[in-house]
Amino acid sequence: MSFDADLIIVGGGLSGLSAGITAVREGLNVILLERGEYSGAKNVSGGRMYIHSLLKLIPDALERAPLERPITKETYYIFCENNRKITFSFEERGKRNSYSVLRAKFDRWLASEAENLGLLISYSTNVYNAYREGGGITLETDKGSLRAPLVIDASGVTSVVFRSLGLRRFTADKWMLGVKEIVKADLEEGQEGEAITVVNAIKGVKGGGFVYTNKDTLSIGFTATFDSLPKGEVQAKDLIEAFRERMGIKGEVLEYSAHAIPYYGYNNLPPLYTKNVIAVGDAGGFLINDGFTIRGMDLAIGSGIIAGIASKKIVESKTYEDTEIYYKMLEESFILKHLRLAYNRFSVINSSLSIYPEILCNVLSDMFTVSEERRTLITDALIRLREKGVSLGKVVDDLRKVML
Amino acid sequence: MIPLLKRLGLNTYDVDKTPHIEVDQEKCLHCKDKPCTISCPAGTYEPSPEGGIIVHYERCLECGGALVICPYGAIKFRFPNGGIKYKYG
Repeated sequence: MSFDADLIIVGGGLSGLSAGITAVREGLNVILLERGEYSGAKNVSGGRMYIHSLLKLIPDALERAPLERPITKETYYIFCENNRKITFSFEERGKRNSYSVLRAKFDRWLASEAENLGLLISYSTNVYNAYREGGGITLETDKGSLRAPLVIDASGVTSVVFRSLGLRRFTADKWMLGVKEIVKADLEEGQEGEAITVVNAIKGVKGGGFVYTNKDTLSIGFTATFDSLPKGEVQAKDLIEAFRERMGIKGEVLEYSAHAIPYYGYNNLPPLYTKNVIAVGDAGGFLINDGFTIRGMDLAIGSGIIAGIASKKIVESKTYEDTEIYYKMLEESFILKHLRLAYNRFSVINSSLSIYPEILCNVLSDMFTVSEERRTLITDALIRLREKGVSLGKVVDDLRKVML
Repeated sequence: MIPLLKRLGLNTYDVDKTPHIEVDQEKCLHCKDKPCTISCPAGTYEPSPEGGIIVHYERCLECGGALVICPYGAIKFRFPNGGIKYKYG
């Protein structure tokens, strides 16, 4: 059977474009299929990129890429009941480790970089089915069928290739809904940006919010696991507006968007390779939330680069069914190492985040209140923990997980 | 609070002639809670007076959530050929 290319990449977001750029540099014959009219047309992300992977892909990206602002201030808002709130910030002026980004602009730029390097991108091409045939993979699209011995699934969280092959079982507790608004803001030019992480802003749902400063807009977003949405006090369609009001953010809303987020954690990652197919970015479930950093974009670019190099090795040796080499390279890279490192904190955040803020607020409220009664901090903390049914053993265990 | 339809109106769509979402009305008729009406960020699923679901597929923000929000597997979803065009993302 004849093939249309050595390698077909499904999806022209960060992971697909990074794989495409790398594979073209390695001399492979590649076609990339993007369902949007342009790259970024279908992409939504929180809007903050840690740039180490980008700089590996494009070393002079800082001078050319359409980044918004460097993020040098981290602020946390933790909401409690009865109009109480904890806030704290950490600043590191001059730091250049992460930037706010708007993906419709950024991905379009990265796609033009890829095209300049000779990557063939077919836009408005919607892959809706994939099956194994004649030693390769056939992809059914609205423009007809395409075939390749090797396929990279870079189609995002819904992973159309792996899903079509029966290798994905999605559940509402392992996916988050992200809703987002872009709000016009009057911000000073040249100033560094801030990332605000918000806990407990909306009751009932399991998730959190964020605000990032762009050049002349704010990215505000709220995320919640799909299974918790029916239990929330606000319906999904109004979540972002409830959050915006809670944060007191005013200004013209320019866009309303939504996207599902893979929220698996290292121990629940889906199959990342199978005969003739490998998964990158969100299709591989590469998302890290360790309480300090919430990241997917650097993992998308990083896994794309690795997939491009692995593809070269697979194509060269014509061992299209033996794709395990990709997984081995992932294991040796920061991708799976960081996912593994984050897993303890990831699981604490998911199991215990809903109980501690209220206890912390209660203790702080006691300490900041003067009456004739007064306790030591430790006595008060133990009382406040006990009244919420949290044992000291659990606290120590959670602390251990947070630290390790 | 800005109403949903006004917010969706900020976006640019190229709506397909045929729906990319189908629901199994038989299943919906037996579904009491109708979680899809709560969990979709675009308000795509609306309860019909007859007890089924009206699908406003033209509102879809293409988040992909349709693949997990129905516990009864009554939603058949694929991405549209046209659909939304985000300007910021």
